[in-house]
Amino acid sequence: MEKLNEKISGFPAYFKDWIKTFRGKVTVLCLIGLILLPLANPNPYIMGIFNTFMIYAIFAVSWDFLAGYVGQVSFGHAIFLGVSGYATAYIIKYFAWPWWSALLLGAVIAVLFGIIVGVPALRLKGPYLALGTLAMSLILYQLFLMGSLGIMWKNAFGTDLFGTDGLGQVPPISTNVDIQYYAILIIMCLSIAFLTHLVKSNIGTIFRAIRDDETGTSASGINTTKYKILAFLISGFFAGIAGGLYALRFSGVNPGVFQPLYSFYAIIMVAIGGIASLSGAALGAFIFVFLGEILRLLGDIPQLEVLGGFAEPIFIFSILLILIIRFAEHGLLGTLLEKLQSLWDIVLGR
Amino acid sequence: MFFSLADPIVNFLIFGIIQGSIYALLAMGFSLVYGVGGILNQAHGAFYVIATYIFYWFFINLPVFGLLIGIIVALIITTLIGGLVYILLIKPLKDSHVGVVIVTFAFAFFIENLVGILVDKQYHDMPHLIPGYFEILGTSVPYHYLLVIGIAILLVVLITLFINKLKLGKSIRAVAQDAEAASLMGINVDRILAYTLMISAFLTSVAAVLNVPVDIVAPHIGWTILLNSFAIVVLGGLGSLSGSVLGAYIIAFARAYTNFFISPILSALIPIIVIVAMLVLRPRGILGKKEID
Repeated sequence: MEKLNEKISGFPAYFKDWIKTFRGKVTVLCLIGLILLPLANPNPYIMGIFNTFMIYAIFAVSWDFLAGYVGQVSFGHAIFLGVSGYATAYIIKYFAWPWWSALLLGAVIAVLFGIIVGVPALRLKGPYLALGTLAMSLILYQLFLMGSLGIMWKNAFGTDLFGTDGLGQVPPISTNVDIQYYAILIIMCLSIAFLTHLVKSNIGTIFRAIRDDETGTSASGINTTKYKILAFLISGFFAGIAGGLYALRFSGVNPGVFQPLYSFYAIIMVAIGGIASLSGAALGAFIFVFLGEILRLLGDIPQLEVLGGFAEPIFIFSILLILIIRFAEHGLLGTLLEKLQSLWDIVLGR
Repeated sequence: MFFSLADPIVNFLIFGIIQGSIYALLAMGFSLVYGVGGILNQAHGAFYVIATYIFYWFFINLPVFGLLIGIIVALIITTLIGGLVYILLIKPLKDSHVGVVIVTFAFAFFIENLVGILVDKQYHDMPHLIPGYFEILGTSVPYHYLLVIGIAILLVVLITLFINKLKLGKSIRAVAQDAEAASLMGINVDRILAYTLMISAFLTSVAAVLNVPVDIVAPHIGWTILLNSFAIVVLGGLGSLSGSVLGAYIIAFARAYTNFFISPILSALIPIIVIVAMLVLRPRGILGKKEID
């Protein structure tokens, strides 16, 4: 308790120091921009893009936490997105729970699914997590596509679950666009703040030690398996939150959310922002969503038909990811921000 | 299926052998790359897709010798792409395991979308390489199936001989045991790894050409291929060739059995059941070597 009081009383000074740094300034500016956005009364389309961006930001940050800070790479984060999306949609649709409780329960169910493959894989060294999570997401995709399973489920419980149509007509968080926007914004800020705090805490030090030298860490008497599983579950929980919000935002889910495509989204967003940088992952999500939207609009312009399908977002992003990993492993934004920072310093005459 | 369901047991046996032979080719390539270079190649399915679509394109656009030319071109180009993937993407990132896995993952997406753009995203069927049927115990079996079994056995034998007898094969085994020591003995490790990826791509393209006539052509089939290869090598042991062949037939028969006699749902679940069970019970696989670490 005393420690907590100390932290609270020390917070203004900490905040003052933090805001003086370049990183703090950028973060605060972005936040103010996001908070003020609805006041500018943008059209629902722009608001929708921002909602998508914030949901993807949670998803990307959860992946970056696991890969960048604990060194465990999951290629099936779509498991969490999909399971939680389905669970949240199902609970709201058929049990009429309030959206926030459905969201939490959905994320917990997603974590339970993650345990099935995560725990056996994380006990071992080697590529088993990458392999197991990807396999799990592919299998869930196949299962949820099965019409015969959907009919069986319907006969047993009288509700829709499996099948190509997925779950539709899920009521949104609120019919008021602004309330929906702020709800997602708050959840995103809380998620990023929690994870940032976690990686800076003592547990975060253990996580980074495992990433840098697993054998050395376990030789220091730390149960690495326990911490790896803990990190996997935390990451899965936040990916699950993103999945639940996804179902609420798009008023439903279909089996497509289990495709490896969504795991690929998480990776490309983190790669743009630079691995092991949570705020970078959020910025990466911003760039990813807006670039994707621009590319989609380009594809609709009749004069650009000569491009064929080559302006397709996924195609461009797969090339981008190959290039980033091949030539700029630390991401694009990190270098860009450093340049901006030195420019800033010059402007201030430092 | 293409035959009457008069005798499910015969059908189950035939289907298991065919699928097992194709899986064996796929899993051997995947396992070889992991065993020699420690490379988890997520683009394994992409090789399959490349071969499939080259084959399909020639079949559609060249009416006379399309099948034959398609096969030859598909095998050659896929093999070359295997080498190029190593030289351009994997070799520069060899120090970072995560980088290799991500870059091959991205390559798989690149290929999936490329063929979707260049050809189309629809499902297609292809005819058997050899037309005609013959009868076994009242079930008609396409001649194509004999071809699949024959080529699969031939290739398994050839690869085993190649790895064990030839000088290049010995170099590959040396790199698999200890890359650093091998390079001190004057073996060009990068060249060996490039050859290994080319062998893997070649095996995959042969499997593609044999499997496409009994399966479908679609851009996303690569993921199913990757999934089955995963399950097989985890069952047989990552890096073990004989384990891959054994695992391939076990998985194929298990999937065929559940498909014919229990339910297709269980059949779809088999890969993940196998992976989780093996990770819990025996992570090194049936025939895998014990890792010293």
